[in-house]
Formats: sequence, C-alpha cells, structure tokens
Amino acid sequence: MPVKILKIEDGSAFILERVMYTKRYTLYLDRNKCVGCDLCIVACPKEAVKIVNPSDLADIENPPRKITVKVLDDKCNFCGICSEICIFGAFKQSVNDEEFIPVLKSESFPEVIHEVEVNESKCPTGCKVCEEACPLSLIKVKWNGESGGKVNVEIDRDHCPVCRICEVKCPYNAIHTRKIISGLIRVNIDLCPEGCRACVDACPIPNVLSISNDGKVNVNDSFCVYCGACKNACPVEGAIDLRRISVHHTPVKSGAWNKALERLTSTENMAKELRSKSIFKTYESVKKLHVRSRVSK
Amino acid sequence: MSGKPENEDLRVGVFVCHCGLNIAGVVNVKEVVEYAKTLLNVVFAIDNRYTCSDPGQEEIRKAVKEHRLNRVVVAACSPRMHEPTFRRCVAEAGLNPYLFEMANIREHCSWCHPSTPKEATEKAKEIVKMAVAKARLLRPLEPIEVPVASTALVVGGGVAGINAALELAEMGFKVYLLEKNESIGGHMAQLDKTFPTLDCSICILGPKMVDVARHPNIEIISFADLLSVEGYIGNFKVRIRKNPRYVLEEKCTGCGECLPACPIEYPNDWDMNLGVRKAISVPFPQAVPLVYRINRDYCIECYKCIDACGPRQAINFDQKPKEIELKVGTIIVATGYDIYLPEEGNLYGYGKYGNVITSLEFERLILAAGPTGGHVVRASDGKMPKVVAFVQCVGSRDVNKYPYCSNFCCMYTLKHTIQLKEHYGNDIEVYVFYMDMRSNFKGYEEFYYRAREMGVNFIRGRVSKVIEDPETKNLIIHAEDTLLGEPIELEAELVVLATAAIPNKGIEEAARILNVTRGTDGFFMESHPKLKPLDTPVDGIFLAGACQGPKDIPYSVSQGCGAAARAATILSKPSVKIEPIISVVDPEKCRNTKVKCGICATKCPYGAIKAEPGMPAQVIPAMCHGCGTCVAECPADAITQMHFTDAQIFAQIEAALENNPEDKILGFCCNWCAYAGADLAGTSRFEYPPNVRIIKTMCSGRIDRDFVLEAFRRGAGMVLIGACHLPYDCHYIDGNWKMKARMEALAKALEKMGLTPDRFRIEYISAAEGSKFAQVVREMAEKLRDMGRERVIAENEKLRPYLERMLGRKR
Repeated sequence: MPVKILKIEDGSAFILERVMYTKRYTLYLDRNKCVGCDLCIVACPKEAVKIVNPSDLADIENPPRKITVKVLDDKCNFCGICSEICIFGAFKQSVNDEEFIPVLKSESFPEVIHEVEVNESKCPTGCKVCEEACPLSLIKVKWNGESGGKVNVEIDRDHCPVCRICEVKCPYNAIHTRKIISGLIRVNIDLCPEGCRACVDACPIPNVLSISNDGKVNVNDSFCVYCGACKNACPVEGAIDLRRISVHHTPVKSGAWNKALERLTSTENMAKELRSKSIFKTYESVKKLHVRSRVSK
Repeated sequence: MSGKPENEDLRVGVFVCHCGLNIAGVVNVKEVVEYAKTLLNVVFAIDNRYTCSDPGQEEIRKAVKEHRLNRVVVAACSPRMHEPTFRRCVAEAGLNPYLFEMANIREHCSWCHPSTPKEATEKAKEIVKMAVAKARLLRPLEPIEVPVASTALVVGGGVAGINAALELAEMGFKVYLLEKNESIGGHMAQLDKTFPTLDCSICILGPKMVDVARHPNIEIISFADLLSVEGYIGNFKVRIRKNPRYVLEEKCTGCGECLPACPIEYPNDWDMNLGVRKAISVPFPQAVPLVYRINRDYCIECYKCIDACGPRQAINFDQKPKEIELKVGTIIVATGYDIYLPEEGNLYGYGKYGNVITSLEFERLILAAGPTGGHVVRASDGKMPKVVAFVQCVGSRDVNKYPYCSNFCCMYTLKHTIQLKEHYGNDIEVYVFYMDMRSNFKGYEEFYYRAREMGVNFIRGRVSKVIEDPETKNLIIHAEDTLLGEPIELEAELVVLATAAIPNKGIEEAARILNVTRGTDGFFMESHPKLKPLDTPVDGIFLAGACQGPKDIPYSVSQGCGAAARAATILSKPSVKIEPIISVVDPEKCRNTKVKCGICATKCPYGAIKAEPGMPAQVIPAMCHGCGTCVAECPADAITQMHFTDAQIFAQIEAALENNPEDKILGFCCNWCAYAGADLAGTSRFEYPPNVRIIKTMCSGRIDRDFVLEAFRRGAGMVLIGACHLPYDCHYIDGNWKMKARMEALAKALEKMGLTPDRFRIEYISAAEGSKFAQVVREMAEKLRDMGRERVIAENEKLRPYLERMLGRKR
C-alpha cells in the first residue's frame, strides 16, 4: 500500500500527515506562532525544514505575510526534534491525535527548559505589570477577591521564548527567569542598506532591535532570545552576527543532540558541554569511590 | 579423425526428417531427398519419419559405416533443438561430432509456409544445399575441457532458492545463497496461510530458513546486490556488493535490546507499508539471518542503540559497502516476482480509497503477527467490515496491462474467503468477482467446493468500476453478472484486489548481468518450454521459481529441487567440455608483427586476445567465448572462427544465391536472439514469405562486411542482419554494438555506390519476438516486390565492379 503523505498548507498553518493503516503521524506548524527563525532548520537531523519567503507561497490560499518555514514530506521522519527545539512552541507533533515526541521518550533529545518562575507571595493584588509587559501575551494574572486575596500568575511556558521582559519589568522582584539560549548578537551597521528595517520588523521581541535617530540599527542584547529571525530576514550577508553559546536543557546522552547543538552553537561550545558532562561524570565516580572507601574503612 | 588429409575424399550423407507431418505435411520430403542426391559430394540421402528417434539415429549410424560417410547433414528441426542429439549420434558412429551440420527445414520452413507447399519445398531444398555446402568445408574439432569449480551460487532466497540451496548443500556442494533483502524467505514468509491445506506459511518455511542458516555447506550473503557475472560454465566469476547494515553480522545476537531504545519509526515495506518498523530493526521476527539493520535514511544518529547494545558492540556506524568475489561452477536464478500495485490511474480506487487493498495487504491484515494483530479492519474507521468483495484478475489477463494469467490468484482468494468465513462465520458476507476460477492442481478443486459450501458468493463478471461513498467510505462496485447477463451493483465495506504477479523490479538488471533472455511477459525465458524448463540459453545458469513466470509454492519448491539436480550434473564432474568454436590467429597473416595493429585485442569483449608489439596476436582459448567479433574486425583476415569460417559462410552464401538471387532475402542472424526469434516465428506458426534464407552466426559481431558485399555481388535482392537488442541483450556483452558501428558505416558506403537503402536492413529481434521477425520479413518481401526484379538486377549490375574490387583480396 502506498504510504499516504498529506500536506495541508495555508498562511496560518502547515500540516504534514503520514497516514498508515494503523497509525497516523501529524506534524502541525502554527504559522501565526512561527517567527521565521532558523532553530528548527538548524536542528533538524534530516534537513527537512526549509525556510520560505512569502513570495514563494503566493499561490496558496491566504498566504503568510512574513518569513516562515515548511517541512519537506520526503525527508521528514516525524522524530519531533523541531517541535522540541522551537522556543515559540509553533510545532506540535502527534501520533493518532495524541501529542507525542518520540525523541523525548527515548531521551534522544533533551527537553528544552523554559524557566520562568513567579514567587506569587510577593505579588500584590491588582498588579498586572507582567501581563501587560509580555510581548507575546502569554501571562494571565488572576486573584480572588478585591484585595488581600491570593494572586495566581498563569504563564503559558510552552510558547514562551523567555525574553525576560517580565522579570525586568516586575516592580516587586517576584519573577525569576533564565534564558533558554545564551549568546551574542552584533549588527555591523556599516553594511546596513539605506533605510532597511527588515531585521527590526522580523524580531519577535520588541525593542531588541530598533532604529536610532541617525537611521542605524540599534541592538539591545538583554531581551534577545537568539532565535535568528533577524538574520533570516536580513538582505545582506554578514550584517548580523549571531552566535549562540548554550541551550538550557535537561541532561541527555545523545549523538543527535550533540550534532544539533554543534549546528546551533559551534563545535567549541558543543565540546565544552561534552567536557563539562565528563567532568561531572568523573566527579560523580570519584565521589562514589570516596564513599565506598570510607565505608570499607 | 583429425589426422585426415585436407584433400580427403568427401562423402556427405543427407538425412531428411518428416517429423511426422510437421515437415512432410508441407514439404515434399521425397523431392528434397532426390534433390540432395544431386548435390556435389553427396553419396547418400534418405528420408525418415522421425530422425531423432532411436531407429532414426540408428539409421544414421548404420549409413555412416556402410557408406563410409565423413560428413553428415540432417534436415529437420532447429539446431537449437536437436544439434546436440545428432552430434552425439554422429560421434557414436565414430565420426567427429563437428563434421555434422543441420538444415532447419521445420522452424524456418514448413511451420511458417504452410499455405505455399511448392515454394516451401524449394526453400527446403536450398536450405539443404546451404547445409551441404557448409558441411563440405567442416573440419574435425576437439572440445575444450575446462575444470569445474564445485560451488554454486543461488540468486534469490525465496522458497525456490531455499530449496535449491538445501538440495545442493545436501549433495555435498558448497552453496552461496545471495539475497538482496535483509532476510531470506521471499514472498512466502509474508503469507499467513497456504492453500489448500491452510497450514501456517511461516511455520513450514521458518524451519527451512533455519536449516539454510545452520547448514555447513551454505553461506547466506544477505542484503547484497549482484554486480557482475563473468566467465562460462564451470567457471563463473561473480562480484557481489554487501550493503552496510551498520550492525556487524558476526556480533549481533538478534536479542533486540536496541529496538525499544530507538525513537524513529518508518513504514515497513515487509508489511506492505501497513505497519511500521524502527530505524534499527529486522523486517519480521523470524528473519534469517537474525541480524538487525540501521536504515540510515531515517536514523537520526542519537546512538541510543549503541548504549543498548552495550558490551556486545555490534553497532558500527562506519561500516562501508563491501565487495566480494566468488568463483562458482553454476548459477541458479530464483529472483521471484513482485506484486502489481495499481497506484497509477487508481485502478478500482486503489491508492485513492483507503478501503481498497491488494491481496498481499489482506494477507498482512489477517496474519496474527501482522500490524493489526490479525484483525481484518478497514483503514477508514478501524472497524471490521461486514461485506467484503474480492476482485480477480486485476492487471492480469488484461491485454492493456499483463496479458498472462498470474496462476495463483484464484487459489489465494479462495483461501482468503475461507479464512474470513472461518474467523467471522455468518457475521460477514463474502463476494468474489471472477472471470474464470482456475483450480487445477491436487486438492484445489475440492478447496473451491469448500468455499462455496461455506457460503461464499461467486459472481462471474469483470468489475467495471468501484466508487466510494464519501459518507460511509463504503465502496459501490459496478459489474456485469455474465451468467445472468445483467449489470449489478454491490455495496461492499472492503474491496480486495487480486493483482497480477509481475516480473521482479530488478529483473532487467539481472537479465543484463546474467545475460539471460526475457520473454514478452518480462519474466526470464527457459531454453525450451517443454524439455528444458529449468535451463537458460547460457550453459551453467538455471532458473527456478517465479522468476520464470508466476508459480505457487509446490511448483516453486519442485523447480528449486529440479534446478539443483540440473546444477549437480555439472558440479559432480571434475571438468566440463565447452564448444571449440573459438577464434584462431594465423601468425603468418597477422599485421601486428609489422605495424601496431591490435584491433582484435581492443574489440574482444572478453579481453581474450593478447597483441604485444612485434608479435602476432594470440587468443587465450579458455577465455574466448566464440563470438567471432575479432574475425569480422580483423583488417588482414588473419583470424578464423572454428566452425564458422569465412570459407564456410561464403559457401553458404553461394549456395543460397545460386538460383534467382534477386528474388531472395539473405538473412544473417545471431544464434541467441534473431535466429531464435525466427525459430519462434516457426513455433508460433507465423506465416511469412518463403524467399528468405538464413545463415546462422553465433553473434551478430561475427557478421563480416565481406558477407554483405558478397551477397550483393552474387545478386541478392535484400540483405537482413538480425541481432540482439541494444543496449544490453547481446550474449557476448557488446557484439551487437560492434556490428552496428561496422554495418552502419557499410550501409552509408553502399548507398553512395547506388544501393537502394531499403535493400540492406539491420534489425534487433529478441528470442521472444517471433512476430517481429515475421513482420520484418513480410515488409522486406513487399518492398522487394515493389522494386521489381529488373530494377534490382540493374542496380546489382551497377554495383558489381565496386564490389568485385572490394572483395578482390578474398580470392
């Protein structure tokens, strides 16, 4: 029986389905959430994710207005890596309609940690600063009773790229965050074409990139999530220098992850992670030996 | 015998066969005998009802002794049929077997000219004349004896190949069993039950597969491709590429601990893509050899399997394809068949409607170890269907697709209906749409009765179309009930198509590598449909199972055993005799001693000629396959092919064109394709004009320019060259290409001299294209008639001075 691959695509979604007699694999991309960055493209072990410009999709129904991605049906093997690495949570992978990421179950890929913690005991009733500050509207603040009631801050962590704006804006120091990706971003303004603001428009987080009074691009590194959407949008090669250094994730031992990390960051940074892993391992085994020798004494 | 002087007293005996009425029904045999007596050096001629029978052969032996015959001509069937028989007979009479020549007056005469007996008799006379002319120039030859490698290669590890390998191994021969998939077992391992006994397929095949793996004389080479085959009977050199599994065969224990560690699943083609397998897995649990394989197309290289494998260290991502070379004495080809998937054009909705499946897919559904756990369910809703319809002859017995009957579909459909009735009883309605139910072996008809008694509904008629109800996903079948003579409509919940068994996907490549001919149906062709059903035209290569045509299990098993017996006839001897029809260089004439020539060495497809500077070229006899290409290419006429010398062929040309040459078409045909195609035209009784005369060469590469020039010099009406199809069909690798280059240049030269291009034709006719041969002759005869004798004669007169000059060095 021929393997049926269904592809449904429009401006707001891209769905790839492998329909078999007993199983149905679905990869769903919410194009409203996709920012057109290159995390999935780089992380995909099969090079199945490709960037698409709005002009490439002009003939589909209700075409997207910004850069987005598509998945090649002949290369995708529904491993779920794209869905885990996307810090905006734009991908959803499921088997028989149940959300399932095979590589997480086998620990072939780490869970990417979206670390945003709120100490709600510090929150006074009536304060909605974080809710208003969140550029992606992922925070809902609720409390019961007019005053003195318990404050409840709900954060949609799956879709949160952890830009830290809420943490900085919080007047009560109640929010603690840790960036998913750490790195560096520089704009070589000498290369910027006159009047171009492609990167500014592409950036999903406000105020990371802005146009200063002299018409040049200004970078504010502190809220950058290092997704690379600006680089994809930039018309000039080398104008934006983006370097990722590390990814905040659960520990795993996996070749697929090492390779993804190498492509996401650099060989040196991947090696660094491996080294720290081995130092940790040595430390653990030495500790074990130490304990054992003490017991035997 | 070989010590006889050159100017010996020639005494030719001619034996004309009636072949019952096969020849005598058309050709006036007595007249042919009387004619033969008038030919030069013929001292004895007689007719016989069946020359090949015991009394017929005895008559030859007697005549040789009584009349001191030293050349024997038998005018009967094709030399491809009985030449070996008569050679043996002549040898028994004390004559060298190569002093025998055959005149093909059955396939090439009586069978294809039944409505013109007078012309057929004239043609038969001339064929005899040509044979006598050649016979007069025959020289005694001694067969070349070569040692035999007592090992065999079986290509294909299906049920036929498994049995062939086991039989040979039991006889004590070393066998290499080559399988392109990961596991041996073939299609039989995919099946649930077998008909008509309903015993479990893998339960009876599994132990055999294990026997193969355990047998000390069998080496399984799985997941490997056949790259090339060189050499000849007893001495084949085979190159094989073992594809990397990325799991080491010698270390993998088949424990399967890597399986749960792997995150990636992909469609399992073993399950007809109904189910999935992991990126590291075996196609099915009973696989032999039980060695896992990593499919790098899907693997994401997380290396979790390496951790799971642990100290066994069986996984190696750096494995490379490995080439191995084997030397074997015989090859058994058992490459099997494929199932036709009517995806293209969505025949009966297959590929478009989820609830239309093929029988092999049904087989995987009803199999307890299959992806649904043995539950027959629909793809659309996962529910058990209440009405199942089987459609027979999908693709087969269809002139637009595969005209042949696929042999086993009727029986497996009966099996499926009985299985459904046994599983679900009266909860399920079963219909079968058939053209004819064919149940013609032991226990098969009873099986058909059983299905009918169980309440299966049989409807005779072809299905015209299947349409899906978009709501319920049920399928509405439109058909004609030919027994009632009215159209009917049936709503079924599941439709199962009994699709055609078709030649294996790789058969074209395999045919090229092995140099084995394929029939019009695409399957391999046997040497003789009745008497040599397991042999191929290549000595030492045999066929078994469905690669020769669709076959069920018992038939394939018998063929596997039969092919093993055929192979053993070679392997059991220390040496084998091969035909001494090789090329010989005359060192006196060879130009290579004076100038840098070496053309023969570059043209030889087998590298059998050595031409060192300053030395005459030298043929290595054991490597020469006897195609004769070098003979035709040699600019100094210094090379001779034994048994096909220039003098012999010139004598045949002369004999053929002595009377009314301008009315005749002279054909030069290669033994393996065009000559066999002409034989098939006769066997199939395709009638064509009787003015064609055929001269056989082993390869079209042997056909010298001089033959064509001589034919026109002698006034031939037309000349036809028949060769194997380009690019790969040539039995001698590329003799047809050499002929093409040579003859296309000649055709241009002849045209310049004033020859009408239509009078010289090159055709590529395979052994399976009897109808094409007949058609070509018909076309040529018509053109010749259109031209008219006078024009042909005038044209020949104009050409003659040029041709005489070109052929000057010949005399």
